[in-house]
Amino acid sequence: MSDGLPVDPLALREEVNAKYRAVAVDPHGGYHFHTGRPLARRLGYDEAAVAALPDSAVEAFAGVGNPFSLGVLKPGERVVDLGSGGGFDCFIASGQVGSEGRVVGVDMTEEMLGRSRAAATAMGLRNVEFRQGVIEDLPIEDGSANVVISNGVINLCADKRRVFAEVMRVLKPGGRLQFADIANGKEIPAGALRNIDLWTD
Amino acid sequence: MLEQSGFVNVRIGPPVDTFGGAGGESKARLFDVFGYAFLSRKPE
Repeated sequence: MSDGLPVDPLALREEVNAKYRAVAVDPHGGYHFHTGRPLARRLGYDEAAVAALPDSAVEAFAGVGNPFSLGVLKPGERVVDLGSGGGFDCFIASGQVGSEGRVVGVDMTEEMLGRSRAAATAMGLRNVEFRQGVIEDLPIEDGSANVVISNGVINLCADKRRVFAEVMRVLKPGGRLQFADIANGKEIPAGALRNIDLWTD
Repeated sequence: MLEQSGFVNVRIGPPVDTFGGAGGESKARLFDVFGYAFLSRKPE
């Protein structure tokens, strides 16, 4: 890639969009990752908080870790979720920040937004909002967030430095970035890094 | 990369076997892939 990135960011974005469109439409389909309540249990989420959510809020969850495991959010905090998917982490965050707090989920996939908005409406949540956008160009005001969360999404972006620059822009001074993602312990060959299919399968 | 991007107080949680028992387990094992929680802060 001429800009030093291993793959074309737009081509990768389309691949990711297609993958997560499928998860939104059929969360119980066979994927290379776990989904839903079994995944939340595997990743160590608070069982009572998950049990309180309806299936529609949990079944499309496809995270890779628990962004709340290193710190619970505080009441009243303003939170942004990068790649909010079906909304599961936003709903967990909603319960932690309470009625005085606010959670904004950002996702590019129309079908995921439809799912997360429907679940929020069904639960009557008034402190959660979902916006369409990409995490390299967040539809979020400068310096407006106490916390940015994310789960298994940043690894799917070719230009991670741009993502972190966006996080820095939207966070208030002293704000936190707490996220979950995958990391590899063994070096991935350069040829494999250039194979977009391997990023999403 | 977090520190290079200006974040401070970076903490990383223990590994989680994210893909164990899933279709992607064999590829995950090949490259020693696990899930991690990260916590960092924007300077004041």
